[in-house]
Amino acid sequence: MPSVSTQITYIVVGYAALVAVLAAVAAVRGGERPRWLDQMVWMLELLLGFRALAGLSAFSGDGPDSTSTYVGYLLASVCVLPIAMKSIEGDRAVWSSAVVAVAAIAVGVLVVRLEMTA
Amino acid sequence: MSAPRSGPHKVLLALYALFTLAAGARALVQLTTQYDDAPVAYWLSLVAAVTYALGWYAIRSASEGRTAFASVMLWVELAGVLIVGVLSLVKDEWFPEPSVWSDFGIGYGFVPLALPIAGLLWLRRQKAAEVQADDRS
Repeated sequence: MPSVSTQITYIVVGYAALVAVLAAVAAVRGGERPRWLDQMVWMLELLLGFRALAGLSAFSGDGPDSTSTYVGYLLASVCVLPIAMKSIEGDRAVWSSAVVAVAAIAVGVLVVRLEMTA
Repeated sequence: MSAPRSGPHKVLLALYALFTLAAGARALVQLTTQYDDAPVAYWLSLVAAVTYALGWYAIRSASEGRTAFASVMLWVELAGVLIVGVLSLVKDEWFPEPSVWSDFGIGYGFVPLALPIAGLLWLRRQKAAEVQADDRS
């Protein structure tokens, strides 16, 4: 059975993919960025926080192969969404949904890389 | 001219910020922990990170109406991706480990190749919009 952090990774990657698809659909359809998309982003950030906490367990025992790489992915995975949301603060136009899609794809990739370097 | 609140430049800025972070962190880790493995590739990754940071600034400036720097910077970036991409194919002994722009950015899904092209297309549209605005005023 996969470890707890691996199971959380599956959930995070799946949820990030869902957020990315819905954000892309919102961008293609046009109009304002929907409020529910923001709520989904913050839910994703919460999951990333859980993944980061679970990821600390990698330091028990031998630790990750490259500690600096692992810590880099760990920190980046929780920082990307708040920075992306800050960059579109006060902007609810169509392109802000595209920024959310890019950020969601980025955190999905980061979490996969985090899992690979654990 | 103040920066427009929204537009495609917001997506470009997000991507340039991401690649500055990704390339910069990768280059710094590799240069400090594995320098002897592939110094040329690692230095080129650092050059890529600096280029992305300058590209971010260039697009930010262009979105405010100052397009001169972006007109140079985006071509420099595209040239960098193409030159390093070709070198990584014909001089593979220089790249025992890949750099960010090796094989035209294949390690990042070719986004490094698409990014300056998307930036140049946006810049062309931005300049055309400015000319139209000048004609009207």
